[in-house]
Amino acid sequence: MNEIKLGQYVHGNSLIHLLDPRTKIICCILAVIGILSNHNFWYLLFLLGLILTGIKCSGIPFSSFWRSMRGIRYLLLITFLFQAVLTQGEAVFQLGALSVTQEGLMIGLINLLRLVILFLGSIILLMTTTPMKLSAGLEFLLLPLNKIKIPVQYFTTIISISFRFIPTLVEESITIKDAQRSRGAHFDSPKILTNLKSYLAILIPLLASSLLRAEDLAEAMDSRCYTGNPNQYRMRNLKYKAVDIYLIIFMAVALLVGLVIT
Amino acid sequence: MSKIIDIKDLSYVYLPGSPYEQQALKNINISLNQGELLGLFGGNGSGKSTLAKLLNGLIYPTGGQVTVCGIDTNIKELRHDLWKKVGLVFQYPEQQIFESNVYDEVAYGPRNLGLSESEVKTRVFEALDRVGIFPDSMVNLSPVKLSGGVRRRIAIAGILALEPEVLVLDEPMAGLDPLGQNLMLEIIKARQEKKTQTTIIISHNLKDILALADKIAILERGALVFHGEVQELLSKIDILSQFRLELPDYLQVAYALNARGIKPNNDIKNINEAGLELIRIISGGKGKL
Repeated sequence: MNEIKLGQYVHGNSLIHLLDPRTKIICCILAVIGILSNHNFWYLLFLLGLILTGIKCSGIPFSSFWRSMRGIRYLLLITFLFQAVLTQGEAVFQLGALSVTQEGLMIGLINLLRLVILFLGSIILLMTTTPMKLSAGLEFLLLPLNKIKIPVQYFTTIISISFRFIPTLVEESITIKDAQRSRGAHFDSPKILTNLKSYLAILIPLLASSLLRAEDLAEAMDSRCYTGNPNQYRMRNLKYKAVDIYLIIFMAVALLVGLVIT
Repeated sequence: MSKIIDIKDLSYVYLPGSPYEQQALKNINISLNQGELLGLFGGNGSGKSTLAKLLNGLIYPTGGQVTVCGIDTNIKELRHDLWKKVGLVFQYPEQQIFESNVYDEVAYGPRNLGLSESEVKTRVFEALDRVGIFPDSMVNLSPVKLSGGVRRRIAIAGILALEPEVLVLDEPMAGLDPLGQNLMLEIIKARQEKKTQTTIIISHNLKDILALADKIAILERGALVFHGEVQELLSKIDILSQFRLELPDYLQVAYALNARGIKPNNDIKNINEAGLELIRIISGGKGKL
C-alpha cells in the first residue's frame, strides 16, 4: 500500500458519513444535472461552495482531496487550454499562431469548474460511503427498473463485487510490480517498448489471479445459495432521517433556481 | 568478516500525513556479516515484509538508515540498482510468473542485467538445477500447467539466476507440502555452504529455520524485541515463551531434561548432536551405551 487509492472510503462519523447513501447519490445526480444544464459562472461557483462545505463537514482533510485532484490536473489543463485557444471571439493575446480569446478564457474557466465539481462530488460520495451502503443505495434507487424486466439486482451485485475487489487488486498489482522491479523491470524507461513489456509482466499475473479468484468466488456464492434475488435485508437497513429530506429538497430547489436563471 | 547489512535506527511510516498513516517499523537496529543467515520472525503485521522491501530499495526509510552491500538506500541514484545485489523472493512468488515458458521466466532477470544470451543460458540452467528442476526436460513447458510447488521453485530460480549477494526470502515455505518444505530448506542450505552469500529468511515458524540460522531477529508490532545469535535466543526462555516459539523436538527434549535437573550440553545445534548428547546422558557421561 503505497498511496491512497482514488476515492477510497475513509472511515468517519461526520454528518456526511451518516447521511443515507440514497441522499448522497440523489444529491450527486442533482448536482450533475445542475452543472450540465447551466453555464452561469456564479451558479457554478455556488455549487463549488456547496461541495467545499460538504468536504469541510466530512472531516476529511482538504489535502487528501487536493492530492486526488492532482491525478486529473492534465485533463483540467488541456480542457482549459483548448477552450481558451479554440473559441472564436475577441483576442486577448497571441500565443504564436493561436490567439487566446476573452470568450475562450471564460468558457475554459466554466468547463474547468464543471469538471472540478463533477470530480469532487463523486469523490466525496465515494470517500464517505462504504461500498456496501453505496450498492444498497443504488439497488434501491434502480429497483423500479425491475418492473420493466431489467435485472437490477444482478447489476448491483456486479457493482458491489467490483467495489469489493478494487483494493485487493490494487494491492496485488503493487506487490507484483515490486516483485518484477526486483527482477530489474523498468517502469519509467524512456523506451516505450520496454515500458510496455514491463507492464505486461504485471498484467498477465494479475489477470490470471483475477480469473482464479472469480472462479472461487462464484463457487463460494453458489455454495451459500446465491440466487440473485434483490437483497431485501440490505435495503431494509436504509433509513431516511429528517436531515436527508431537507438536503434533497434543498438541492432540488438549488437545481430549479439554476434552471430558472438559465 | 565484513558487514553486509547495517540497519541503524530505522523507522518506516506508511502514507505519512494522510488518514491512513501507519507506523510499520520503529527503531530497528540490525547488522549482518557476509555469509551469515538471518532468520526474521514475527507475527502477522509485525513489519517483516516491509523490512524485506526496505532491504532492496523498493521503499526507503522514513527515518534512520539502511545500508546494504555498502549502498545507502537513502540515496536515490544508488538504490535503483540495488536489485542487482539483493534478490527478493516475495510471498507466494509463483503468482508473479508471466512468461509463456519456464526458460523465459527464469531468464527475465538475467536479461534485465544486460548479460549476453549465452551467459543467460548458463545462469538459467544453473539456477533451475539448484532448485531441483531438470532443465533439459522443463525449459519449454508452460508454467501454468505445473503444480504450485514447482512454480514456486521456478520463481525462486528466477531470483537465484540473478546471483544476488544477499537473498531475502519472504515466507518461502508457506503453503508447501512437507516434501516441498524440505526441498526449500535444501536449496537454502546449499546456498549457505559457499560461505560468501548472505541469506535472510522471513518466517513465522522458528522450527524450520533454527538449524540453519546464524542469527535471529524477532519483530513485534514494528519493534525489534530480539536480535542476536541463535544460542543467545535459546537461553532466553522468557522470549521463547512470550512469543510461543515452538522449538524443534530435540530442543524440547533438552529443555525438558533441564527442567528435571539433568543438564544437557548447552550448544546442541542439530538433531545429530542432540542424539549424541542423549546417549552421553543415558550412559552416565561415558559417551557410549
